[in-house]
Amino acid sequence: MTMSDQTGQAAPQRDDGNGTPTAPEGTQAAGAIRARLHWLGSRYALIGVWILLAAVYEGLMPHLFLQVSTAQAIFGSQSPLLFLAIAALCTFVVGEFDLSFAGVMGLSATIIPVLSGLHHVNIALACVIALAACIACGVVNAFFVVVLGVSSLIVTLGTASLYLGIAELLSDQNTVSVTDNAFASVALHNILGLPLSFWYGVILCIGFAYVLRWTPVGRHIIFVGANREVARLAGINVNRIRFGSYIAASIVAALAGIMLIATVGGFDPTASPSYLLPALAAVFLGTAIVMPGQFNPIGTLFGIYFLETGIIGLQLLGYSGWVQDAFYGGGLVAAVSVAHLVRNRTRTA
Amino acid sequence: MPVTARLTVSALSKTFGSARVLTDVELTAAPGEVHGLAGQNGSGKSTLIKILTGLYTPDPGASYEVDGRAMRLPVRWPEVHAAGISVVHQDLGLLDQLTVAENICVGGFPTSRLGRIDGARRDALAAATLDRLGVALATDRIVATLTAAERAEVAIARAMRDQSKGAGLIILDESTRALSGADLDRVHRLLRRIAADGGAALMISHSLPELIAVTDRITILRDGRLAAAGEPTSELNEQEIARLMVGSAVGAVTPRPAPSAPPGEPAATVTGLRGAHLAPVSFTVAPGEVLGITGLPGSGYEDLPYLLTGARKATAGELRTGAGTVRLARASVAACLQAGVVLVPERRDRDGLAFELTVADNISLPMLRGRGRPWFVARRWQQADAEASARTLDIRPRTPSILVKELSGGNQQKVLLAKWINTGPTLLVLHEPTQAVDIGARTDILRRLQRVADSGVAVLLVSSEPEDLVATCDRILVYGREVGLREATVTTTDELIEMIYVTNAATAGSPA
Repeated sequence: MTMSDQTGQAAPQRDDGNGTPTAPEGTQAAGAIRARLHWLGSRYALIGVWILLAAVYEGLMPHLFLQVSTAQAIFGSQSPLLFLAIAALCTFVVGEFDLSFAGVMGLSATIIPVLSGLHHVNIALACVIALAACIACGVVNAFFVVVLGVSSLIVTLGTASLYLGIAELLSDQNTVSVTDNAFASVALHNILGLPLSFWYGVILCIGFAYVLRWTPVGRHIIFVGANREVARLAGINVNRIRFGSYIAASIVAALAGIMLIATVGGFDPTASPSYLLPALAAVFLGTAIVMPGQFNPIGTLFGIYFLETGIIGLQLLGYSGWVQDAFYGGGLVAAVSVAHLVRNRTRTA
Repeated sequence: MPVTARLTVSALSKTFGSARVLTDVELTAAPGEVHGLAGQNGSGKSTLIKILTGLYTPDPGASYEVDGRAMRLPVRWPEVHAAGISVVHQDLGLLDQLTVAENICVGGFPTSRLGRIDGARRDALAAATLDRLGVALATDRIVATLTAAERAEVAIARAMRDQSKGAGLIILDESTRALSGADLDRVHRLLRRIAADGGAALMISHSLPELIAVTDRITILRDGRLAAAGEPTSELNEQEIARLMVGSAVGAVTPRPAPSAPPGEPAATVTGLRGAHLAPVSFTVAPGEVLGITGLPGSGYEDLPYLLTGARKATAGELRTGAGTVRLARASVAACLQAGVVLVPERRDRDGLAFELTVADNISLPMLRGRGRPWFVARRWQQADAEASARTLDIRPRTPSILVKELSGGNQQKVLLAKWINTGPTLLVLHEPTQAVDIGARTDILRRLQRVADSGVAVLLVSSEPEDLVATCDRILVYGREVGLREATVTTTDELIEMIYVTNAATAGSPA
């Protein structure tokens, strides 16, 4: 989508000599091809690794891994996590840090079943109330970070625990659930073999990528993330964008909670911290793809399903339980390191 | 001469992908000399330094000797450092909150047997180092309280800490660029002392007067090749050095004929502008005029560009342009942009450009809202604008999609200039637009400013470079803390420098 105008990176060091010394034709062409490969490699290496991973699993489990049902398991189950990763991305792209998004999602996923299941509130209304509560969480984060200027890491680490506590209070520390088929079909209705929630996630990622790439506000967001002072001196209202990023993050986290309840039907509030690392892993993994070194929604989309592919494969091989945690953590470190090395080689080689 | 050179590098080449950035470079520095290394931005200077310090691997075939001892390539920094080479970086690398002694001993603290830092021996080592270099400085002073010259001395002392008298080579990578006047002289004297004792220095600098003043021999790079291999500096003058750097006769910037426009409405009128460090000033700039403002470093005039464009809050003042009036005490950057006033700030890395984004992205940033729709900004005009700017300003390489951080300093400065010229401002305010750029880029930038003025834009050049001001400006105002702005009717650089001192010597009590 955005590669055509990036080809200049192919020879990043050309600036080092005004009027490049003339190399023989052949060398130059070979160099250009090599540079091109580097460029492709630094952007799409992870997709290669993904295909390789699938091939290895298929080799280990012939006629078991490369099946429609496996693909459905991979692509059909991860939307709440994808929404959550996008929530994290909302603050990361402007250079902020939010660790409370999992807590916000937990609050949303608790309020809906508590209101609807225990107090018999209309489910749509319950969703609206959950959304409003989450926006309030975003406002609280933004107030401390943007208005008072407290470190975002500390603030959101604190509020993450605060929101978790509120969710536990509301649920009385019980698993809460709701059964509503109409509501469930909003997420689970099948299109092209995959549930609606998958398509929501894809649309969200593409929409987010479009905004960042093709709208003035999106470009401003990128500049606030790249250099806040440069953005301010270009007349951009930096604090409004920072404030907005926390609000947007809380809205998307609320949607993640809604997806979760619609898909699963219930939630244990104490489980929300366990969603933090997988979402972060996908977001950072996303920086290794499409736009190397930059947080980007399409990369995050790939990141989510890459990780899930690895986990499903291991589960089919008979490993379970500990595999998920180990893979999310180990996979993150490995993938980001590889991307980092590839990027450095493109720069100096 | 049988004297072994302190550093000998020969047959050094470096290729990045398909681009050759250094070809057969040689460099020798003898004990007892200050050796200059000059070249335009992008000539390969920084690549050479990165090879000398082991950051880059040179192409096969190169040799690298310290005191006649061959080093294994790529060099490992600890090895080279142990052999006597040390570096003082551009920003000096000092920790402001620590003492002189701590800063000098960082990286080599004397420790007690249990591994604790031995405070007494640390202070003694620092004092001995300073003493050996002939620098009078208390070791317990906090670095934040030092003058610019003293800070440079501390950085040099750190580099020379482990060398005995008369040994070692110190590489100064544009370390003196923040210094001027008496501070600069003081650091130069220190370097001469080190050389007189038998040490050696390799000095990278953009300043031709500095190279002439302090170096014994000079090596000049042009397009990655030697343009001068250790020529005695005494046989060269500024013009000749400049010609070796640029390759052809340097086209000087010449003052334009005074703008012929009738003295109608000024493009911008500034009244009673005052800041925390700036005494009230008032002035006007006419359309098509290049107005220069200068003063004594540190006197407060450096704040003017930022106060005038809403980047910093003024305590009072008003700015009037055709587009309206802005109260500067409450103004935002956006309000000043609305009035057609734009700022090219001094620090391109911190305030000017997003280094991790592309040239096209950076140039089009101020115009996204104006030229795009809320739901869509096309890329084509951004590419076209960036390409056009690259042509008019000779930005190399021409590729709009290259990242800003991959450009050399002079080219980055041109990108910053293009970013704001393209907005079609009423008043273009610039702060030190030629700082740390080479001669070629400096000429390009100043000429471009004159052409921009020719097209009717009012240009305000706030600078501490007398040469730039005299060559470029139609009118120059000199700021003095006591007297505010005074018009300088000068035609030469020397007259302007004189005027700056006179204006600032006007002490309190003598009515202006």
